[in-house]
Order: sequence, then structure tokens, then C-alpha cells
Amino acid sequence: MYRYDEFDHDIVQSRVKQFRGQVERRLSGAISENEFKPLRLMNGLYLQLHAYMLRVAVPYGTLNAKQMRQLAMIADKYDRGYGHITTRQNIQFNWPELMDVPDILQDLADVEMHAFQTSGNCIRNVTSDPYAGATDEEIEDPRPTAELLRQWSTMHPEFTYLPRKFKIAVTASKTDRAVIRAHDIGLEIVRNEKGEIGYHVIVGGGLGRTPIIGVTLRAFLPRAELLPFLEATMRVYNRSGRRDNKYKARIKILVQETGIETFSKQVEAEYARLVPSEIAVTEAEVKRITDYFKGPDFEIINDGDVAYQAALETDKDFAFWVDNNVAAHKVSGYAIANISLKVSGRAPGDIASGQMRAIADLADAYSFGEIRTTHQQNLILPHVKKSDLPALFQGLKSENLAGGNIGLITDIICCPGMDFCALATARSIPLSQAITERFDDPVRQRAIGDMQIKISGCINACGHHHVGHIGILGLEKAGVEFYQIKIGGDASEDAAIGDVTGPGFSYDETVDAIERLVDYYIGIKCEGERFIDSYRRLGMTPFKEVLYGG
Amino acid sequence: MSTLKHKGKGPQSLTANLLREGLNVWLTPEFEWSHDFNEALLSEDSDIIEKMQAIGGRDSDANLVVGVYFIDVDIETGLPARYRERFRVNGPSYDTAFELKNTERKE
Ligand code: SF4
Repeated sequence: MYRYDEFDHDIVQSRVKQFRGQVERRLSGAISENEFKPLRLMNGLYLQLHAYMLRVAVPYGTLNAKQMRQLAMIADKYDRGYGHITTRQNIQFNWPELMDVPDILQDLADVEMHAFQTSGNCIRNVTSDPYAGATDEEIEDPRPTAELLRQWSTMHPEFTYLPRKFKIAVTASKTDRAVIRAHDIGLEIVRNEKGEIGYHVIVGGGLGRTPIIGVTLRAFLPRAELLPFLEATMRVYNRSGRRDNKYKARIKILVQETGIETFSKQVEAEYARLVPSEIAVTEAEVKRITDYFKGPDFEIINDGDVAYQAALETDKDFAFWVDNNVAAHKVSGYAIANISLKVSGRAPGDIASGQMRAIADLADAYSFGEIRTTHQQNLILPHVKKSDLPALFQGLKSENLAGGNIGLITDIICCPGMDFCALATARSIPLSQAITERFDDPVRQRAIGDMQIKISGCINACGHHHVGHIGILGLEKAGVEFYQIKIGGDASEDAAIGDVTGPGFSYDETVDAIERLVDYYIGIKCEGERFIDSYRRLGMTPFKEVLYGG
Repeated sequence: MSTLKHKGKGPQSLTANLLREGLNVWLTPEFEWSHDFNEALLSEDSDIIEKMQAIGGRDSDANLVVGVYFIDVDIETGLPARYRERFRVNGPSYDTAFELKNTERKE
């Protein structure tokens, strides 16, 4: 498992000291709010609708038990006893006080964490497949690449003031669990015909007010060329990205306005001008980073644990949970356990400090101390022996975290919306709760099957509504919130932007509208067909009729 | 001072966030800051509004508050006219902290 090296240690410690000084100067009036704001944002501190909010980086969603306990301590000592997992695998606290933030950053630094690159127009925290290092689908662990990018991009002097924020995601499996096609740059680790490992580079994806699915910039980039090639891409963007209009400043707009062919030529021309060896890292450095991710010492065990099989047969709840929440592991006898943070009555992605500690204990007991956060706002214990799954399930049950709804209709992605966010136009959390309540019955959820509902509280689309099988966008008109429904979006390797169904619905009508869509689908679906498949087969017309009448 | 100059309609209230703790506040008739909008000074009088603006500037310069701006208030309801501002007054309609408090109380 990765550990920070001495460079990170020094950078993080000095940054805490620096921010402490900046806060002191702000409080004394030596610097104004206008001067302070970019400094606090560089340390993940926002001023939201009701209070400050601190966003803590969880690089590529990897956490250890000790870090989780520290997050729990921070939640209790400085906040209101809980944290919120974001759609970029980070964790945020909704109520910190400015005075406490330097101490919080010190407490984070003590466990090798920080809040860099969680805000501002820089390369943001790199995200990755939460199954990294555990799934047998992957060509290799994508985290060494993500880590290389983290080291390269952290405080990169040339890319700290980009036209706009810049998001990169890396995967190494065909199954895309990191929405790489909705990122400024998505990297898919692939093998070419010669069997060499390299990168499929996708550029210009993004959600927000102009949702676009990324396109291929290079179908195969040799591994050694990654940093120089990305540097060339960033330079073209930094030079030509629009700085005159914040809404047109993302790379997706540049790629769209320039056209991918011309953009690609510009990147290649820039690349030809670079001296790659000045930017690329040596093989020895790649190996050094990769070695950090070697993975735990798995035992050699066979797959047919008797107690586990017996538990599957006798405990229906456990069997249901395994069926939905547990994924195949690359090592025989082990499994990947998804922990749902979509608990009835709770905001999606919220986790109480007591639950954080319990998960840290369970990770220590059953998953080599490793925890992952997911962009779906859930958690994962990546390396659990199958024989330990019944005990893990019991442990989760006692913390109200044993929901078997991963990938089902109640596993809703939901941004904080008007309840917390300064930019929101409508609430999203209560709507997600109302939908969860309506579809609470686990049998019904299973009958509906794979269904991704995603809700955003404004056009910025942090709740990924454009790529939801059903996407919901909260808007406001004359002081009343209403909700636009999209269908047909897809966050997977078959990424697609959903289509708007028609006029929006009032808050009270929205859950009924969703239910009409779902019931219609149940009535017409073919064997093995998911909601999204039915939509692709039938098109918008029948779904529209169901929503708005004939 | 980052104050939005008053250009609203009808009664006005002046709002900001406390610099240190970050929470929302509204200016009271005593020209102090309250967490409770019920205590807010609402006025249409241009002299008073000018005074409010001056106090906002003063307290901003004194590093007590940040992000000062005027909001329109609905005469009939006495609440902020804009939906977003009503949310700032009422606080979140849901917060996991409420649930945690209730559980603690039960225990
Ligand atoms: S989508 Fe809008 S409301 Fe939701 S978190 Fe993003 S900016 Fe805030």
C-alpha cells in the first residue's frame, strides 16, 4: 500500500504552517478577503451556503484504517460528527470554523493527508477505479499511474492557474468504474497488439452545463510517454483555453470548438517541440512508485469455504447482500466488499464518525486495513477473505451499513444541493430520500435491477445527472423548485449523455414521475434487460408518453 | 468591502458570514450581527439603508464579517424574497447532524 515519501511529508507540513500564517494574517486584517480567498481555496476551504466547508483529498480513493479514524476524530472535534463522500472520491466536512482549519490540516498531515487540489483552477485530485489492485479485470493496478500524475501535478507551477479546473481519471479495466469519459482527460490502461502496456488517452469529456463525452486523443500512448504527452496537452489547453468566459473555459469546449483533429495536431506539434526526457520519469522511478502498491500478503486459500457457503444458504439477508455488494477478487478465496452509504433517511454519501471508526476496525480485521471511497459515494473494503464475509456483514449490520443496494435504484448519487451548496438552485438530498423511501422494498429493487439515478442541485452537475440512467436536475423558478428529468445517460464504458424528457416536475410530482417510468419499464422489459437497455431499444417516445400522457 | 451595492426592491436586510466561524448572520436594529433572521433589521428607508451599508463596510474592514450583501425581503411574509436566501435563513432542511443529535438524545 502507498505511503507518502519524505517529499510529500515536507510539502504537506510546510503547507500547513503556511496556511496557519495566512489565516492569522487574514484575521488580523493584514490580507483582505480577496487576497485570502484563492489561498483558502487552494487548501480546500470553501464558504458555502451556511458555513465553511472543507474538502479533504483522498487520492484515487485509497484510505487506510488509521486515516479513517483520524477523519472520525476531525468530524467529532471540529465538525458535527459526520463527513460526506463526494463524487470525486474525496470527503468533505460541512461545518468547520476558519479558526480550526489550520489544526484540522495539521491533524490530516499527521496521517499523511491534505486538502490540496480539491479546489481551484488546477489539476484536481486524480480519481481511479475503486477496485484497483483487487479486481481480476484489470491489466495492472491503475494507482501507480494515478500516483505518478499526483506527484507530477501537485503544485505544478505551469498548471496552477489553468483557464479552469482540470479533472483526470485512470482505469485499467474494460469495465469503467471511474467515469473516465466524463473527465477532462480519461486514461484507460490498455495493451497493444504487441502486448505492450500503454494508455488510451481520452480528452474533452465533462458534465456541467455543457455535457460532452470525451473522445480519443491517442488510441495507444506508450507508457514512457505519459507525462510528456500530457504536458503537451496541458500546454495547448493552458495557451488556448478560453479565459474570457468561465462557462467556456473547460478543455471540452476548446476541443469542441477546435475540432478533435486540429486539437490533436496542435498537441502533437507541441509534443514534438518538447524534450520528453526532461519530463518523463525513469523506469526506476516508475518501479519505485509501483512497488508502493505491491498489495498485501494474501494467503493461499481455496474458494470453497464451508462456513461461507453455509451462511449463504441459511442467511437470506447475507446472501442478498453478497449477491449485490460483493465483487470477484483477483486472488482466490478473497472478495471485494462494497459498503453502501445509501441508507434510508440519510443523505447519500454521509457517514457518521462512529461508523467511520467501525469501518476502520472492520478494515483492520478483514481487509488489511485498506478502505476505498467510490465516486458513487460508497465505501469498499477491497481485500476480504470470503470466509470473513459473514462476520463483516454482521459488523456492518450493527452499524446500519449492511444495505444490499449497490447498483440498485436506491444507490443514488446526489450532490449536496440547496441544503448546503452556495451555487444550488434546488434541493437534491430530500428528493433522493423520497425516492429511496418509495422504492424501499428490497424485492422490488431487485426486480428493477441495475439502475442508476443521479441528482444534481444545479446545472453544474456535481451529482452526474447527465450520465444517470435517470438523471434529475433541480432548478428554480419564481421561488419554487422543480426538477427536469433526463433518461438514457450512462456512466459506464458505454458512456452516454441522457436526453431531457420534457418540462420539469414539481418536487411533489417528481417521485411519482420516476415511479411511472420504472413501472413502465418493468412492464415492457425483455429478459435480462436493464432500464437503460429498454430505453435504447424503444427510444424516448413511450417513456415520454408515460411521463406526460399521450 | 465586497458589498453588493443596494439596488433591490422593497424592504432590505443586510447579510454576511462571520469571518471566524463562517455562519450566516443578519444585521440587527442595534447594528450588531445575529444568527437569527427574526432579529434582522428590515428597512426601506434610504438613510437607514445607507447606514446599514456603512456598518457592513466597517465590520468587513474590521475582519468580523465577510461577503456582505443586501437581500430583498417580501413584505407579506417578512421572509427573504429569493428562494436561496430563505434557505440561508432556515438552514438546511436536512442535515445528518440532526439525526445524530436525535440518536444521542435517545441514548
Ligand atoms: S451540482 Fe450545483 S448544487 Fe450540486 S454540489 Fe454542484 S454546484 Fe452545488
